[in-house]
Amino acid sequence: MRTAELLKNEFDEKPHGIYAPHYFKYLGYRKNLAAPEVQARANAICSLFTVPEAHIYRNDWIAGSIRPLWCETDEAERTYAQRIVQSFGDRTFIHNADHFSPDYRNVVSNGIPGLLEQIKQSQSMHQGDEKKVAYLEEMKKTLLALQNMILQYAQKAAELQSQEGYDIQKLDFIRQNCMHIATKVPDSFAQALQLVWMCHTSFLYEGRYAMALGRMDQYLYPFYRQDIERGVLTSDFATELLENVYMKIYESRAYKNVDDVVNICIGGMNRKGACEVNELSYCILQAVKNCNVPGPNLSARISPNTPDRFLDECLKVIGTGLGYPALMNDSINIEALKRYGYDEDDVYDYSMVGCIENFITGKQPPWSDGRFDTPRFLEYLFNEGRGILHQSVGINTGSVSEIGSMQDLMHRFEDQLRYGVAEYFAYFNNENTRLNPVEYVQPFLSCFCADCIGRGMDICNGGSKYPSVHGAALMGIGTVCDSLAAIEKVVFVDKAATLEEIRDALLHNFEGYETLHKQLLTAPKYGNDDPFVDKYAVWFVNFLSSLFSQYKTHDGGGIYIAMAANTSNIYAGKEIAATPDGRLQGEPLSDAASPTYGRDVRGATATVNSVTTPDYTKVACGTVVNQKFSPAMFEDGKRQKLLALIKVYMKKGGQEIQINATSRDVLLDAMEHPEKYPHLVVRVSGFSALYVTLDRDVQLDILHRTQQS
Amino acid sequence: MELNVSDIQHFSLGDGDGIRTTIFLKGCNLHCPWCHNPETLSPLPQWMRFESTNLEELCGSMVTVEELIEDVIRDEDFYIESGGGVTLSGGEAMLQADGIRLLAKALHDRGISVIIDTAGCVPYSEFEKVNPYIDCYYYDWKSCNEKDYANVIGGNYSLIWNNLRQLIEDGKKVRVRVPLIPGFNTSGPYSERMCTCLKQAGVTSVDLLPFHRLGAGKYHALGLTYAYQQTPPLSIHIAEHISCIYRKYFDTTIEK
Repeated sequence: MRTAELLKNEFDEKPHGIYAPHYFKYLGYRKNLAAPEVQARANAICSLFTVPEAHIYRNDWIAGSIRPLWCETDEAERTYAQRIVQSFGDRTFIHNADHFSPDYRNVVSNGIPGLLEQIKQSQSMHQGDEKKVAYLEEMKKTLLALQNMILQYAQKAAELQSQEGYDIQKLDFIRQNCMHIATKVPDSFAQALQLVWMCHTSFLYEGRYAMALGRMDQYLYPFYRQDIERGVLTSDFATELLENVYMKIYESRAYKNVDDVVNICIGGMNRKGACEVNELSYCILQAVKNCNVPGPNLSARISPNTPDRFLDECLKVIGTGLGYPALMNDSINIEALKRYGYDEDDVYDYSMVGCIENFITGKQPPWSDGRFDTPRFLEYLFNEGRGILHQSVGINTGSVSEIGSMQDLMHRFEDQLRYGVAEYFAYFNNENTRLNPVEYVQPFLSCFCADCIGRGMDICNGGSKYPSVHGAALMGIGTVCDSLAAIEKVVFVDKAATLEEIRDALLHNFEGYETLHKQLLTAPKYGNDDPFVDKYAVWFVNFLSSLFSQYKTHDGGGIYIAMAANTSNIYAGKEIAATPDGRLQGEPLSDAASPTYGRDVRGATATVNSVTTPDYTKVACGTVVNQKFSPAMFEDGKRQKLLALIKVYMKKGGQEIQINATSRDVLLDAMEHPEKYPHLVVRVSGFSALYVTLDRDVQLDILHRTQQS
Repeated sequence: MELNVSDIQHFSLGDGDGIRTTIFLKGCNLHCPWCHNPETLSPLPQWMRFESTNLEELCGSMVTVEELIEDVIRDEDFYIESGGGVTLSGGEAMLQADGIRLLAKALHDRGISVIIDTAGCVPYSEFEKVNPYIDCYYYDWKSCNEKDYANVIGGNYSLIWNNLRQLIEDGKKVRVRVPLIPGFNTSGPYSERMCTCLKQAGVTSVDLLPFHRLGAGKYHALGLTYAYQQTPPLSIHIAEHISCIYRKYFDTTIEK
């Protein structure tokens, strides 16, 4: 059994007590409740990093676990601790607290002593500026706390040597590596990885979520190369060490029942256009595959010079059913980021945070984003500014009976969206600025963001090289485009119905309007390579990106748009009345940048042709296009065709593609609930059929084939 | 010029090299009882009603060659990247050789590969109309005797055999495709006879297509009875067993 698997088994034994990081912070605040803001927060962090007792797994080569955060103190004190910590307050996602890709390149190449030295130099540079000198002092304190935490892990490794069931070789490895990195610059791949994982663990101690590991194949590569050349490391062992780390991302699921989303970025090109895939990129790919758990969210940056071999290895991993890595189009992302005036070198060094969000690695404050539900504005358009189901108000753009042309309708819809974007921005900005950045300082996190040390300033208060950015995730491109195309076709081309009739049908969820419903459903749908509807997708991205780009974050950064919404399209859909595309009230909205589920029926090439029509260089945050293929697509022979499909997708300007192998579960579910899968296609030579139209025994034949492959 | 089309399938992966678009042409002059595309047998438009989804669609329409070209070239980038192209299948595609000639010539002139999937039961003059523009024939080979053709499949065995031989002699690339139909052409001796006939025609490579009944739903939708409804699919194990015989004579693959 591999280390990762053995480690996963260790997670079966749950920690005792209650998950209570706030309790450890509280112990720090208690030291001096009246301390100045920065000092108080540094105290909390010092306590948090040094009080919990280090935990090392029997199968660990690389130490660092969130297990120490469970404690068994009495409830009264825990509740009190909560009150104290809440009173000091904390940043949350919307206030730039997590979703951050740290400057690990600086960390591994200079080590903790290097960071401390940078702080010292900055203090002498800012002599006389008391505030900065004091802030740097608190940064230093938190780094020393990290150093302390690392030494505790080293000590723990020494203590455990006498305990049964532990492997002395592993404990020695951990002890030596931790001892080394606490006070010296890492000198091996394992030490560099151990340092990164200690930093990441400390972020987890702080309660941060979706902290990225960034371009691991780049910043760790010099260590990897050096160790291989020295003959002290094999690619197999490097993979095993990586697995050790990635499996621990799964602690969150195992102990807290929450999936963390830790983005890891591999591949990509430099500014000369050369592909930066290296042997370590393959090790990372392999390690994520071997772990086979949610949490390590692998992103592969694909550029025009990415070798087919790398893309093929990515597909093999995806084909295991894992769904990772997400494939990112470097050419598009880089063009999109360049629009915001970042330095070229920084743009080419971008990585992702969270699911897919593009991030200037270690050079901007943590990310925030929100959801912008576009189909809601169709309700206001048809219902004179009022939501039909949705308890909200848009602007009154008049009765639809006044609308005489598609152009007129589009103008009014644009008015609705214009108001909607202003409303979105107001909500975001009010909330984002509500917590005063001067007071909610993050001295520890600031050590991991370029320029904060040099400037002696907080990451969210002028310390970082670039300002904060925000991503507005647009939901429902498919629903909106299908709706506009259906209106154009049925009302203005075929003249088969009026807008009032559509309005009445929407108000009645199509009950009593079956003929009209059918007409709307048979109108062209996004995802079938039909320019009649695809033109609306082009408009959607152009119009909304220009609206959002008029706004700025509180410190002057951009409001990016995204077309990705995880599963929010399902929840958002529950609140939205029937839409003119024929979607019934409460049904999910279209997912992310994908066509409405099941409506792209002309094959993957047609889907690609459609979804590549918008200009994604205007979508700086990123997109998600979900595609499902049968497991047979990942077999030798067919996989090469899938590879070709993806290369064309990238050449045509697609931004991201996330591929899933249709599992047996889906086929089984489709047998029981055919209504959910009207367009699930089964393909064999010279033939394709809709799965749900097949007899039960024939469906079983297919299940059998799936099992074989 | 128009072609009688039952379906256009983009991103076809089982009908030749690379990513292809398969145009299914409607109308066939054979009547193989195991056929998995029953909607392509009749040249007339037919309603298909799928009970499970309550879907109803009219299958079959006349489409101009220009419209077909416009449709298939939308995937040109995919053909180039993957080494794919267009496959004309059916039904019996060769019954519409005049239309195919125009379509295939236009595609050929653009550098797009064209494959025809045929059962070969048309006069050779029909093949001559299209030969210059066809990169490869997928030649269905179901049986090796006159009797089966007369009694089961319909069609003229010697015409089919002669066409196959002639295509090879004329230097055309041909891949023979044998559907493995349980109880019909899967016995050892029968397979040996199949191989002998094919060898005599000059065939060098054969694809074996194990029987499946995925077309059953389409028979129901058309209101027809499927003679092979109760026949379980041919197992990969048996297919491999049969392939041992073919392998003695040909470069043989089993299509899944």
